[in-house]
Amino acid sequence: MGPFVRLGNAAGAVGIATVLLIAFGLQFGLNEPPCPLCTLQRVAFVLCSFGFVLNLRFGVQPLHYGLTLLGALFGVVASGYQVLQHIAPGAAAYGSPLLGMHLDTWSLLLFFAVIAVAALLLMMSGRPDHDRSDHQTAMRFRGILRFAVYLLIAVTLANAANSFAQCGATECAAKPTGYWISQYLR
Amino acid sequence: MTTLIFLVMAIAMMTASAGYRGTAIGLFGVSFIAAVLWLDRYAIEMPRLPL
Repeated sequence: MGPFVRLGNAAGAVGIATVLLIAFGLQFGLNEPPCPLCTLQRVAFVLCSFGFVLNLRFGVQPLHYGLTLLGALFGVVASGYQVLQHIAPGAAAYGSPLLGMHLDTWSLLLFFAVIAVAALLLMMSGRPDHDRSDHQTAMRFRGILRFAVYLLIAVTLANAANSFAQCGATECAAKPTGYWISQYLR
Repeated sequence: MTTLIFLVMAIAMMTASAGYRGTAIGLFGVSFIAAVLWLDRYAIEMPRLPL
């Protein structure tokens, strides 16, 4: 895996972690808990990032990009469905818009961007890293590559905690107004 | 359920960074199927298209 492709995978992982952190910022800044479909779009971003994680740790392989594309397709379905729910004139969308578009529309565009980036990286990757030993790939897994993976793990764990605080062990409300855990913190 | 999916994905990433590729991909598969089933549970309304 060339340095450009390696950095591209790290940028993909950090980019997805940044998107999830921005979603957190908007959630707490505007006090708008995510709807169930919004949370599933966050799940889709985490699923997308997994292929990048595998590429950074084990070297580039088509299977890893395939997992990223699967995650992005799931995200396209989840966000596309939500966009179609309010595409009719007068239909109310969930949440506040950001730079003129609602977050589900942003998600849809970002999932298309992930598909495009994964396709470009796959084309530039050249020969798969099957011939390298695990020791060789593990030796290269350091610095910013390791940071990108650890950041993603931290953001995913934060999302798990957030989801539990919002919904508990039960289903989330269709239009949530508060946090499930707040009833125990009074 | 989404809590569980996020947790399994975090474990999958930690497993991958520890070097267990097969286990990590298996955990990804479990999360992916759970996410699809959960989406199917919520995506029940027909989109109201302006036709």
